Amino acid sequence: MTTQVQSGRATLDYVKTIGIVNNAAKGRGFANPYDVAFGSGGRIFVLNRGMPAFSRVGVVNLEEDYLYEFGDHGDNEGEFRLATGIAIDASERIYVAEEQNHRVNVFQDDGTYLGRWGSQGSGDGEFEGPASVAVDGDGNILVVDQNNHRVQKFTSGGDYLGQWGGFGSGNGQLNMPWGIWIDGDSNVWVADWRNDRVQKFDADGAFMASYGESGDGDGQFDRPSGVCVDRDGYIYVADWGNQRLQMLDPDGAPLVNERGQATLSQWAEEYLDANPEEREAREQSNLWPELPEHLQTPLLVSTQTEAYFWGPSAVKLDDEERLYVAEGPRHRIQVYKRSGA
Amino acid sequence: MVIAERSTDISLMAHLMRRAGFGASRDELERRAQVGYEATVDELLSPGQANYMPEDIILRYHCNVLESRVLDPAAARWMYRLATTDRPMEEKIALFWHGIFATDWTKLNQTLSILVQIDMFRRLGLGRFDDLLLELARDPAMMIMLDNQDNHNGSINENWGRELLELFSMGIGNYSEDDIKEASRAFTGWTLGNAEYMALRVEKDSVWPYSCISWHFDYRDWDHDDGEKTFLGDTGNFNGEDIVEIICRQPATAQFIARHIYDFFVADEAPVPQWPYTPPRDPEAVEYLVNVYFESDHNIGEMLRACFNSDFFKDAQFERVKCPVELVVGILRQSGAITRPSDTAFEAARAANFMGQAVLAPPSVEGWHEGVEWINSGSIVERVNFASKHMSNVENPGVQAIIDRLASMNGGHFSPEGLVDACLDVVGPLEVEDSTRDSLAQAVGREGDISLRDRTPGDDTEVRVGQLLGLIATTREYQFT
Repeated sequence: MTTQVQSGRATLDYVKTIGIVNNAAKGRGFANPYDVAFGSGGRIFVLNRGMPAFSRVGVVNLEEDYLYEFGDHGDNEGEFRLATGIAIDASERIYVAEEQNHRVNVFQDDGTYLGRWGSQGSGDGEFEGPASVAVDGDGNILVVDQNNHRVQKFTSGGDYLGQWGGFGSGNGQLNMPWGIWIDGDSNVWVADWRNDRVQKFDADGAFMASYGESGDGDGQFDRPSGVCVDRDGYIYVADWGNQRLQMLDPDGAPLVNERGQATLSQWAEEYLDANPEEREAREQSNLWPELPEHLQTPLLVSTQTEAYFWGPSAVKLDDEERLYVAEGPRHRIQVYKRSGA
Repeated sequence: MVIAERSTDISLMAHLMRRAGFGASRDELERRAQVGYEATVDELLSPGQANYMPEDIILRYHCNVLESRVLDPAAARWMYRLATTDRPMEEKIALFWHGIFATDWTKLNQTLSILVQIDMFRRLGLGRFDDLLLELARDPAMMIMLDNQDNHNGSINENWGRELLELFSMGIGNYSEDDIKEASRAFTGWTLGNAEYMALRVEKDSVWPYSCISWHFDYRDWDHDDGEKTFLGDTGNFNGEDIVEIICRQPATAQFIARHIYDFFVADEAPVPQWPYTPPRDPEAVEYLVNVYFESDHNIGEMLRACFNSDFFKDAQFERVKCPVELVVGILRQSGAITRPSDTAFEAARAANFMGQAVLAPPSVEGWHEGVEWINSGSIVERVNFASKHMSNVENPGVQAIIDRLASMNGGHFSPEGLVDACLDVVGPLEVEDSTRDSLAQAVGREGDISLRDRTPGDDTEVRVGQLLGLIATTREYQFT
């Protein structure tokens, strides 16, 4: 369901859905996808948080080919637990942040393990639950440090360069931040999760602007998990607690609330082809139910309405400005694209 | 028998908080004792907003706790609430009804709808029994559990109708086979949304394509048998609401609920299947609660208020074996082992399972058999291991608070026997056999007296106290509530 807040302005068009639940440690499908990154040749690197033990990176494309996968659940080299964020640099090195072991793992795009850095703590270069990762224009790595309420900067080799943030609700302060995005002007955007806002910083971490406040209205957020900004300055926020995607104009004015409109992916179609009795029963069902009052929270509505977003944990733009929203509990990615204005 | 130095008020308050909740710290007991016993009963039973580990914090870390594909995450989600809520009565009553209206994940293959059912127990569990039973009849998890989606006009399925009478309200011997059939007719058309698709997914254990779709109630008027029915002596064109109303005014229902309350909150009774043949352990107490049921217009909260304020309740300290959830949650709350999301809640849910009580997965629609059946050679090992692990961990804030309290007593200096008595008092107050006390003193006394004055966090002195607390949690006496 899409709600256009301001008519005659830019809108979001649904493109498609990629994914299907994979109840195994390997193979086609997703296991709680949490974040995505984009490589050459149209490759989409999907980070599977993989609860409880199915962590991995699955590589797919928009045509829904499952190309390959790498990484595994565990503590050894090339393994990770409770993965949170993924990013790719100009040399197509893949950076995977993991919450359990408080570190960043590095792979080549073909899955070759290259190394890792980080440990638990609150000192320089230490983490308390790294939540997301991004690569800036100089090839440095920015890591959102969830429970230290800060952003840390490293060289691509993991040498500590600096940090900003700190716990609080004032400008430039953070409360359990989650997603990060670097826009075309090298500004850094952070989803300030428990402050119900997104903040914009310059490349050195100086505060520039803040958008949003607590609530479920237009331009309000309930625990935003991800943020990204397109070339024209439109802002997209994964409004995690409200179970929606919001689009703001370059000045931060709300334009669109998108509740989600997932359809059957190619993999889902193939599953139902192989299970025609499920397809038949499904086609006779009303998958957009009216619900009683005690089931009317955004979360419970999402658990009952398959097409809606459930737990949107990241929103990312590819080179062609398509928007990808990862939904861990639904094991899929919904793709959208802005049109107009 | 050695009776640790203690206050009667504190012991009674500790008893109340174990039964109406899952235990309380000594600081909380003292605060509540200042307020008074009956005022505390009133506060426990009054509606209010619960505070517990925030849902967003849990869901961000455990993105799968509501997803329903497997049992452990959902059980862990309840563990978080059990272990951190400031309204323990709400959780205790939910556990009480979960044991009676037993709904099992292994049949449903979906956990979120059971969690929604548990939430319904929180909302309605202390109110009128009629309201609770009616909402249970509309509960989609219960429908799938007892096949009411297969109960059709002209082709009844008696499963729900039978258990409604046998296990959920009146008990065997108080109704006829015809009553079951008539009740079943009245509940035709009561189903869940997209029943055919949802039931097929359950049957196939299908989570594809996009994981589980949670359930909601649906009424199909066209599938309801609106004909005349005779049920428990009344005749009319009954629908499900009428059946619930008739059931709730039966003396047998009052007797059944009263005995359940006595069994769960006062003292272990015989297993439910034996009730038709075994008189109540305390018939006068049950009769007293039956009277409150009718005087209060079937209000469960009023029955509990009368129960908690009664002499038979106050005199029943340590008369029940802690069920696994009571033991596990009591340990978590006393030790403060859960302060942020981690694997501990999962471990706790699995531990309760290994002890014989898998929350959200009772062994049958009959629920769990309580009492001494909780204890066997396997479960006692699980109990001991879980209790000692968390109560001996001096990094746990609850354990640290106990040590801090001990340090403020007696100048922080204790003989081995004195330390044992002080710990028994702070942890319980708990009474133990002489031989148990001697063994505890011997274990902690190998290195002589103990002084907590100059301790540092995690040093050998604290570890000694932690080991003693761990041992106390493994005693026979600690297994009772």
